[in-house]
Amino acid sequence: MADPAIELQTVRKTYGGGVHALRDAALRVERGEIFGLLGPNGAGKSTLVKVLLTVVRATEVAGTLLGRPIGEKAPLARVGYLPEHHRLPPYLTARQAVEFSGALSGVARVDRRRRAEALLDRVGLGHWKDRRVSTFSKGMRQRAGLAAALVNDPELVFLDEPTDGVDPVGRKEIRDLLVGLRSEGRTVFLNSHLLSEAEQVCDRVAILLQGRVVREGRLDDLQRQGARQELVLRWHGPVAELPGCHDAGPVDGDPSVRRHVLPTLDPAAAQPAIDAARRAGAMVISLTPCREGLESLFMKAVTDPVTGRPLPPGASS
Amino acid sequence: MTQLLAILVDTYRELSSRRLFWLSLALSALVVLGFALVGINEEGVQIVGWTLDIPFLNTRNIEAGEFYKLTFYGLGVRFWLGWLACLLALVSSAGLFPEMVAGGTVETLLARPVARSRIYLFKFLGGLLFTALQVTVFCVASFLVIGLRGNAWEPGIFVAVPMVTILYSYLFSVCALLGTWTRSGIAALLLTVLFWGFLFMLNVSEQMVNSFRLARVEELAAIDRTVEKRRQKDASVDISDLQAEREQGETGLEKLRTAHRILFMAKTVLPKTDETAALVQRWIVDAANLGDVSEEDAQGEGETPQRRRGRGSFGTTRARESDVRKAIERDMESRGVLWIVGTSLLFEAVVLGLGCRHFARRDF
Repeated sequence: MADPAIELQTVRKTYGGGVHALRDAALRVERGEIFGLLGPNGAGKSTLVKVLLTVVRATEVAGTLLGRPIGEKAPLARVGYLPEHHRLPPYLTARQAVEFSGALSGVARVDRRRRAEALLDRVGLGHWKDRRVSTFSKGMRQRAGLAAALVNDPELVFLDEPTDGVDPVGRKEIRDLLVGLRSEGRTVFLNSHLLSEAEQVCDRVAILLQGRVVREGRLDDLQRQGARQELVLRWHGPVAELPGCHDAGPVDGDPSVRRHVLPTLDPAAAQPAIDAARRAGAMVISLTPCREGLESLFMKAVTDPVTGRPLPPGASS
Repeated sequence: MTQLLAILVDTYRELSSRRLFWLSLALSALVVLGFALVGINEEGVQIVGWTLDIPFLNTRNIEAGEFYKLTFYGLGVRFWLGWLACLLALVSSAGLFPEMVAGGTVETLLARPVARSRIYLFKFLGGLLFTALQVTVFCVASFLVIGLRGNAWEPGIFVAVPMVTILYSYLFSVCALLGTWTRSGIAALLLTVLFWGFLFMLNVSEQMVNSFRLARVEELAAIDRTVEKRRQKDASVDISDLQAEREQGETGLEKLRTAHRILFMAKTVLPKTDETAALVQRWIVDAANLGDVSEEDAQGEGETPQRRRGRGSFGTTRARESDVRKAIERDMESRGVLWIVGTSLLFEAVVLGLGCRHFARRDF
């Protein structure tokens, strides 16, 4: 198996005043996947990315980035980064800004010119290449920022809220771009609090809370953990016990219509329950496979199971 | 190298995108134009078509080329480049470092395969380009004016380019540190100007105290000469008044020496902006061709040595003013380039080191 793009064994970051932004967070990002780091505001997502990119110095860190120890500068030549609320130099044109970004990553002049041209076309700024960034809308600046993050032909791209300020059409285009990057074999590390977007593009996700990774895994696997089938029946007599199901109560307050839950997505597992229900004189209204949505997974992860209230996101002393 | 060159070019682009950059260049052009409109002839100073009859400032006392070089130094280097252009450059570039460390910008710089200290130093060098470019343009224009009007093609004036850039670099290093530290262009500018004002006051104080000290030394020498003369006339003459005067002078001299030593030490560890600018004059203006204008002028006015003796400068009553002035000039000239520029650059290196350290260790 190839080296992971990121293997973070542990990271701690404590700011002055004893504020713990990250506490023993660990995660692994495989090459060629879109990885989503999710978490409420203040959970430490941006700090984690900044530690990986040497923008913030960790109190303690162990792990590798593109096969080199985290903190080394050399692998950053193969990394692209679009920070949240990034500011491209307003006095530069889009082309100059992208080329400047390439130059900072050590890309040769000929290559960065060629790539800037192609990338600006790719992000939909083909007609705006020679306009100053200061004249751009927020969405256009975001697109230019994406082009700047990709100009060094990176193996690994960190995108912090890439669709921030972008209209729905633009969001779709950016999602398509991310999928395109993955198909080119690049690794995308997506920092986002837009769960629906992450759900549409991510292969794997991690949920960060209070500076720790509280859930991590393939999106399919995580969603499968809460997967179930819901069997809705109308009972004409007393409610019978059904094999493999539990009675989840009446639907819409009607005691004769009840929801029965099977904790599996396997349709074969539902057949004995349906047969038993029919034998007891019940009418099958519906059988619905249900997967846990990312939002539901997220809310479970960030909610105190005892009080049912959201947990504080992090940065506590 | 690609990265560092990119930072230099970007800094230049950032500065040249500001109106102040072009305003400074336009003002430089105006200063050179003003410079070109002033001339010198046998009667005096000529401004456009009018001649101001100045007895000691004419081609009989000073060569036209020297006059232009003096004007270039006094008006161009000392006044324009040494003060106003530097101030404009500071105003224009004070925001460079705060903007570099602003959220959204600094991340894209730091997440690169370049050491932070290099980013800091090359941003600093890029900032110096502003001044170097302005000074070069000014010097080229002045070179043409001196050559065409004074018939003195003097490549030596280009020494002003490195010297003024060095002078500005002392201040800009402080501005860069403060900008990185406070993240505010206005705070960085105000504090740097305050620091510059402090350097100016320190320099004035040191030069005043030094002048008084040297005048007092000359005064004691004059007393000794008077004692000698009196004794030559009459060995038994009463010189108690002179001895009392000498004792009093020595006490005062000791206090001046102590005060000067403290001020001189403070100056040694701090940048010497004024003296750095003065080096340009030392190198480009040939004092031998200027003559002793003030002395000739004084004699021309019919002043006698006796009359001059009583006038006294810096509290002297016996020492001749010309002796005091020469002693001060000798003392100033004895201050070498190593002391003036070397120790100032040492200060700059320390400030840059602090800035690099702060930038390298800070979380953004």
